[in-house]
Amino acid sequence: MTSEPITRHLLPTATGRQTWAALRTELALLPGLSAVAGTLLIAAAATGLVAPWVLGRLVDDVIAGTDTPRVIAWAGVIAGAAVLAGLLTAVGAAVAARLGETVLARLRERVLDRALHLPSATLERAGTGDLVARAGDDVAVVTNVIATSGPAFLGALLSVVLTAAGLFALDWRLGIAGLVAAPAYAVALRWYLKRSVPYYARERVATGERAQATAEALRGAATVRAYRMEDAHVARIAERSGVARDLSLEIFGLYTRFGLRINRSEFVGLAAVLLAGFLLVRGDLATVGAATTAALYFHRLFNPIGLLLFESDSVLQAGASLARLVGVTTLPDTAAPAGTEPTRHDRGAPAALEVTVGQHRYDDGPVVLRDIGLRLAPGERVALVGASGAGKSTLAGIIAGIIVPTDGAVTLRGVPLTQLGEHRLRREIALISQEVHVFAGPLADDLRLADPDATDAEIAAALDLVGATEWVRTLPDGLTTAVGRVGGSSPRPRPSSSPWPASSSPIRPSRSSTRPPPRRAARARATSTAPQWRPPRAVPR
Amino acid sequence: MTVAETTGGVVLRRALRRQRARVAAGIALLCTHQATEALVPVAIGVIIDRAVATGDVSALLLSLAGLAALFTVLAFAYRAGARLAFAAVEHEAHATRVEIVSSALDPRGRRSGMRDGELLSVTASDAELSALVVRVAGLTAAALTAIVVAAVALLVVDIPLGLGVLIGVPLLVVALQRMAPLLTRRSTSQQEALAATTALAVDLVSGLRVLRGIGAQDHAARRYAGASRHALDVTLRAATTKGLHLGLTTTVNGLFLATVAGVAGWLALQGQLTIGELVAVVGLAQFIAEPVQTLGYCVQLFAMARASAGRVARVLGAAPVVQPGDAGPPAPSPSRLALDGVSYAGLDDVSLRVRAGEILGVLAYDPSEAEALVALLAGRVPRADHQGTVRVDGVPADELHIDAARAVVLVEQHDVALFEGTLRANLSAGASVDDEVLRAAVRAAAAEDVLAAHPHGFDRLLTERGANLSGGQRQRIGLARALVADPPVLVLHNPTTAVDAVTEGLLATRLAEARGAGTRGTVLITTSPALLRITDRVAVIDRGRIVAEGPHELLLASDARYREETLR
Repeated sequence: MTSEPITRHLLPTATGRQTWAALRTELALLPGLSAVAGTLLIAAAATGLVAPWVLGRLVDDVIAGTDTPRVIAWAGVIAGAAVLAGLLTAVGAAVAARLGETVLARLRERVLDRALHLPSATLERAGTGDLVARAGDDVAVVTNVIATSGPAFLGALLSVVLTAAGLFALDWRLGIAGLVAAPAYAVALRWYLKRSVPYYARERVATGERAQATAEALRGAATVRAYRMEDAHVARIAERSGVARDLSLEIFGLYTRFGLRINRSEFVGLAAVLLAGFLLVRGDLATVGAATTAALYFHRLFNPIGLLLFESDSVLQAGASLARLVGVTTLPDTAAPAGTEPTRHDRGAPAALEVTVGQHRYDDGPVVLRDIGLRLAPGERVALVGASGAGKSTLAGIIAGIIVPTDGAVTLRGVPLTQLGEHRLRREIALISQEVHVFAGPLADDLRLADPDATDAEIAAALDLVGATEWVRTLPDGLTTAVGRVGGSSPRPRPSSSPWPASSSPIRPSRSSTRPPPRRAARARATSTAPQWRPPRAVPR
Repeated sequence: MTVAETTGGVVLRRALRRQRARVAAGIALLCTHQATEALVPVAIGVIIDRAVATGDVSALLLSLAGLAALFTVLAFAYRAGARLAFAAVEHEAHATRVEIVSSALDPRGRRSGMRDGELLSVTASDAELSALVVRVAGLTAAALTAIVVAAVALLVVDIPLGLGVLIGVPLLVVALQRMAPLLTRRSTSQQEALAATTALAVDLVSGLRVLRGIGAQDHAARRYAGASRHALDVTLRAATTKGLHLGLTTTVNGLFLATVAGVAGWLALQGQLTIGELVAVVGLAQFIAEPVQTLGYCVQLFAMARASAGRVARVLGAAPVVQPGDAGPPAPSPSRLALDGVSYAGLDDVSLRVRAGEILGVLAYDPSEAEALVALLAGRVPRADHQGTVRVDGVPADELHIDAARAVVLVEQHDVALFEGTLRANLSAGASVDDEVLRAAVRAAAAEDVLAAHPHGFDRLLTERGANLSGGQRQRIGLARALVADPPVLVLHNPTTAVDAVTEGLLATRLAEARGAGTRGTVLITTSPALLRITDRVAVIDRGRIVAEGPHELLLASDARYREETLR
């Protein structure tokens, strides 16, 4: 990914309402699964309330001087609830994951599909930077949050809501006492979110810059050594690593201050519940058991509330990413193979490809092409020559139907390209530009991108044509050699509230492809053996 | 640290030693925190017992004040302790990272046997993971403290009950831990599948224009969908395992609680426990599972830190590739660079001489032999790996100090590496050079367009690896950088493969002007006729041997193979 700032955000971002609507639509597609998942999760959280309630009753019974069988019965109830809760939790987690992950997988596939089939005009204006960020970073953020924090967050949320309901069911006055903590928690959360989100963005930038400096220096190690710049590069990496470290320390400082505020809210809530219990018991309005249950309920809330608060920022970020993803899915779909087939007798037409451009300009920019008339007969090879900036690439784009001229038309055997449809068009006209991208994976996969069913013989013939046969032979694993770079997008590292380690995701090993040039002689051969059985093509340099 | 004895254990011990002040203070505070955490359920019990059950107002005020004090200690101990421990990890990770990079960029090269990608992942994640040993130390101590405090509190209440809890909890946690390896395995493959899916998306979208040009979007979308479905399967497997573990934990904890509650309730009924003690025992029984789980987690964390430390040690302890001598800069000799009967990686008994003032062309029919020659000339091949001698100004290269050798011979790679920063910084490569010198070099490399097209001139910012330049621009800036360095001997390897023919012709002429004078020697390892034309002499390498040597024009006229290979 380039580190140049993306100034042109031309891809849509969904509003909160649209995002929710899109999620509801997805869930509605799986009605049975949604209902079962919801029921199981709520039931699992509800069974968790049984134990503290039973303990409260046990306290009351002990004070009242009950008999042993009753104590055993209460223990039995706790045990039964435990077995049930475990069952519901296990099945609920599995079903909920199936629901959430399926919806997510469908979403990410649709995002990529839309991104790949973005209308040419949109792509040319928006550039690929934002699109890459959405298909990569945003998908990774949402996926990671759903896979790692999602189930715990949902469980904690349900357990907080149900425990609060349990407190009220126990005694409404104890419930209100518990709610005293809510404003304290809310203030702490607001305080934290205001600070943490921009901080994490800065940390991401800092770790990104550190990784960049490291990757550059290691990949260019030969050059670094040749120019004896070792110390300068180590110093630069050390400086950036230091910046990232200091930022992490600051963030952790923020995080612990948030923890302090949470502890304070816990104390406020627990003290309020105990005080209320004291007053109620003294006024004979509640039993000691009820007060005990309330205190235990509240103590039980410490962990889930902490989890909700500490995860809130990543959930917010996932929401923002989700809105950007849903935004991409609202783009029109051009994937459907539609359009006119050039008919058989079209082939009798005098020119296979005819280009007329009155003029072309990008948006409101200056005119870049004017008065172009070009005919390509079948089997004909045409070279476009011009100084840089003359408009060769623009014309190539127009010929290939990637760019629609402001004033003009391109016809293939008499059929305007605009009527062919994207799918058909791409099968008829290929554009190989100076933009080179080696897709990561086995070389053979890269070669089969445009034609997945190409035989080994066809692959070999193509390689031979461009004079790459010998080069492929020198590769360690021949056609199965991994080529291209794999740069995993890293979810942001963060200090964790659970004891799980904060670690940045490893950068995946990659193999750089140092590709020697096709040999000149072979290149010369290749141009003179251009196949006659394909439509003519224009080759801009 | 000495090179010979670097192991993972050494790296871990060193981390603890280097951070000992932070670690010691952090442990003390984290232990305090865990002790107070253990006391919260006890405090609830005491308050129920002394205040709620009795209705005594002064007892209530006293206990609430006590609770406030407990929470204050708890909160501040955690804050300070966690910060110290976190700082120790971060500082250690930073120090380790810088050491790894220093080692990886050792002028002599290091035999870590790792590719760039692996090295990157060692600096990025292993540096951090190995530093987690500090965290393991802190967490282990704190968890043990919590268990001891809870144990004492339980034993004070009731000895048989306390013993039961103390034996039962670890047994249950150990039993549940048996699922840990499976959980780790599943979640690792989940993370891998998700990372691969993301990388694929980034890769496909980055090459979107290429995909569209050849109409491969549908196939690409199917490929992604396949990866996404695979990631979904793996994720669901992991989620099911996690759910099972969660359910089992819930059940086991609940059954244990039922047992403790039953026994404690019965004891309270017998009058052996007060109500407060009953509440405290139940609370402690629930609490104690946490520190025991933390201990189990520490075992996993330690295994992870040790594995990472092993990889860190592999980099830090890697032996240097070459063993340079300590001879100072040699006096310029008429033969600036020479190979005498050198055999290495396909090259067979090659003798070559680059004379002062000469531009020597080398055309290797096999690209891998050209690579071998570049590696030799760049001083990347250890003495033991090749036969024959490489001489720099008449002195065997391996006797020279690395600085002396590099001060004479500069190899500019075919795969030009530029760095993030200004154009000026890239061209001057760290030296302080006059703008006029830069301008002359840029002109000689026919790269004026890079300069002219931009309002900031030499202050133009290049992004990572010069990604905001075209391939041809990168190559020419690399060449200009080499010309700025103006080394006595310059070796260029296929420097114009991405440069168009017109510019290449211009570049060749100017390069000849820039390098042709004085006592400098230049080697052009290339297949380009435009470049070969400016050489004084061309050596042709076929199957590892020099098969022809002479002026370009003569070879063109007399050698059919040569003609064919340089034809365009």
